[in-house]
Amino acid sequence: MKSNVPVKYSIKKTDKDLLLKWYHLLFLGRSLDERAPNYLKQAIGWSYHAPAAGHDGIQLAIGQMFRKNKDHLFPYYRDLQTCVAAGMTAEEIIYNGISRDADVAGGGRHMSNHFAKPEWNIHNVSSCTGNHTLHASGVGRAIKTYGEKDAVVISSQGESSVSEGYVYEAINGASNEELPVVFVFQDNGYGISVPKEDQTANRKVAKNFEGFKNLHILYCNGKDVFDSMNTMEEAVAWAKREQKPVLVHANCVRIGSHSNSDRHELYRDENELRYVREYDPLAKYRRLLLRYNRATEEELKEIEEKVKAEVKAAHKKGITAPQPTPESIYDFVIPEPYAADKYPDGLHNSEGEAKKFIEALNETLKAEFRHNPDTFIWGQDIANKDKGGIFNVTKGMQQEFGKKRVFNAPIAEDYIMGTANGMSRYNKDIRIVVEGAEFADYFWPAMEQFVETTHEYWRTKGQFSPNITVRLASGGYIGGGLYHSQTIEGALATFPGVRVVYPSFADDAAGLLRTSMRSEGMTLFLEPKALYNAPKAATPVPDDFEVPFGKARIRREGRDLTIITYGNTTHFCLEAAEKLAKEGIADVEVLDLRSLSPLDTDAIIASVKKTSRAMIVHEDKVFAGFGGEVAATISEVAFEYLDAPIKRVGSAFTPVGFNRILEAAVLPNTDKILQAAKEILEY
Amino acid sequence: MKKVGIFYSFRSVKTHQQVKKMIKLLGADNCEEVDADVATLEDFKKHDNYIFAVPTWFDGELPNYWDEYLPTIEDESFKGKKFAIFGGGDQKNYPENFVDGVGIMAEFIEERGGKVVGFTSTKGYSYEDSRAERGDQFCGLALDIENQAALSNERIEKWITDIQKEFSKKK
Repeated sequence: MKSNVPVKYSIKKTDKDLLLKWYHLLFLGRSLDERAPNYLKQAIGWSYHAPAAGHDGIQLAIGQMFRKNKDHLFPYYRDLQTCVAAGMTAEEIIYNGISRDADVAGGGRHMSNHFAKPEWNIHNVSSCTGNHTLHASGVGRAIKTYGEKDAVVISSQGESSVSEGYVYEAINGASNEELPVVFVFQDNGYGISVPKEDQTANRKVAKNFEGFKNLHILYCNGKDVFDSMNTMEEAVAWAKREQKPVLVHANCVRIGSHSNSDRHELYRDENELRYVREYDPLAKYRRLLLRYNRATEEELKEIEEKVKAEVKAAHKKGITAPQPTPESIYDFVIPEPYAADKYPDGLHNSEGEAKKFIEALNETLKAEFRHNPDTFIWGQDIANKDKGGIFNVTKGMQQEFGKKRVFNAPIAEDYIMGTANGMSRYNKDIRIVVEGAEFADYFWPAMEQFVETTHEYWRTKGQFSPNITVRLASGGYIGGGLYHSQTIEGALATFPGVRVVYPSFADDAAGLLRTSMRSEGMTLFLEPKALYNAPKAATPVPDDFEVPFGKARIRREGRDLTIITYGNTTHFCLEAAEKLAKEGIADVEVLDLRSLSPLDTDAIIASVKKTSRAMIVHEDKVFAGFGGEVAATISEVAFEYLDAPIKRVGSAFTPVGFNRILEAAVLPNTDKILQAAKEILEY
Repeated sequence: MKKVGIFYSFRSVKTHQQVKKMIKLLGADNCEEVDADVATLEDFKKHDNYIFAVPTWFDGELPNYWDEYLPTIEDESFKGKKFAIFGGGDQKNYPENFVDGVGIMAEFIEERGGKVVGFTSTKGYSYEDSRAERGDQFCGLALDIENQAALSNERIEKWITDIQKEFSKKK
């Protein structure tokens, strides 16, 4: 008796079989929810459990409205009842709860109480609260792009997660792009112990969104089965009919603590605890069934007994189900990449016209868009008339491939990254390229989605691979100062689940980009923007060039010293090597890594064995930079071949100053490399 | 005149106290108390004039007992019947849905042809939004024990006087 939507379901008029089916689902969900803490007490598992009790009405409605393999559902960590109502079995719930290998969410890799079934489009989502709203918008974009009218995305979250900025980005995007997504806020009044008045000024957080265009907002009683069912029915129908987003705000109560690590009696008084128990949705539904003679006490008891037996049988299967094996940890870190068979070492002998770095990128992007019609690209400034990206890398693409495949993104890096993750869930053939930010320096707001995306393949045990190439214009030497000079591979290469490449020349840029765009999994593609138009980085580029990941390239052969480098500094190293040769000091080998992850350790070790001296040069800071990883690898594997300590050259441990004198003082250059090389050669 | 049917939850505390004051003013012989928790269709049918006690719960909801009773009477015609609604709300802590329950009940009654009486002025209250608001009036009596307890007796007395007149009017 709260929302203003058409009444399709009511205690008196709904078919009895359906009413009893709902009772079965509700009682099953509640039984599993109440059983969960026992597994922790017995040290079996389920060490994270966020009780669903009190959210039963809206969760039943979400689950019942979801159609497997048709719609997409993004449940959150309190959505046990949602997943049961969507059709997941007691066994599947318990396998996840106690983290068994048979867990359909991902074989016990994710935290307990994070129920999912990717096989049905019940997506496996993060614990970062509300983070999946961006993925929901991404799938919504795919549904719209592919013209599917009879499908909807349902994204569920607690009301406090709406305080996260990325939730606003997701809903703003769905509003702007008019995406068929139903966002459900389950409002139980608390974010763990933080009451909602400490989150936002409106008690009903959905009111914060009332100014959003194209967004239909519905309020309902999430504790009431019928109000919830009627509201979700209307929400889904409206989203499909209008092809626009809906926001459902469902008032719930949290009967238990936030989770098993929370003690709600520390901040809720007895009166509150009493009345939330009194408003138990399951008890209310049971009373209604009996009061209106829609079920007899015997019929309900029979269902309850049946559920008890169902849960008992599932429990038996659960505790005897195999655990995941320790050796399986390396499975599904990242998918096998595209096999670059045409150029297995990523080398060529083409002698045609030299192309600039930026031309190589532009032509490869276009070639791959012609090759795969399921390829998309978006980013800030990426397509407006003749402007194609902040540096014009995507020039002419929207004209050739249209606005559905090549389009601008809002100034919201997390949205760019998160919707890439989401859209790639729709279809395994989809390949997405994003300009992650105008400059690498502005990528940091997208970090939570970047990290999230690195988890997906492993967390789902290979069920979902985000097939994304993240391009970032990187590095300094353009007088850009602190916010147009950063090169951030030192931080980003620390994550498993993403490949990191950093070409120095046009041909490698083209070859690595092609391989990235044909591969499954995520690749971080770092572009040294100072080289986009630099003649020194221009090379002939075979039309079909491919560079495999993890294949370094000897850019200059030598005997006396190995310089390991990538990106901008490759060119300085080559200059330094030539000077040393001309001066008759040494014959230096320059090894261009091209890929940082995977790293071509074999090539590094082989070169060090030959020269017995090693120096690592990169533009990023020396302190905690990627060179430390390379140096440690050489020390571990090839220490006995070294005749001198390993040396590292890179940026000072400071930001990059805007003044050119400051910039030059911070960044590495040919002279600094020369000096360091002489020191190591003289050792 | 038939007895006024006063429907409220006998388990309630604040509402129960308010009802007792109203009965005193109306005269016990003129009233029949009905427990909304267990009310039947017959309880509803035997009256023409009603007082419904509808406090607002949570962020603007009916209490469970009303939610669970209304299906009993939802198919009845309310034509010719008069309803006076009152309910508690908290204008300070729940300003966005102050006495929404009164408004929700009024909508339910009016959709079925019943006449809602006993409108009161919104003057003297401070809130942001209310489903009970009709112009500068509430479609019932708003009582705020949490913040304006001292005004309750006076408000009840005036309201009872008003609804007595309404109940005694011919249809």
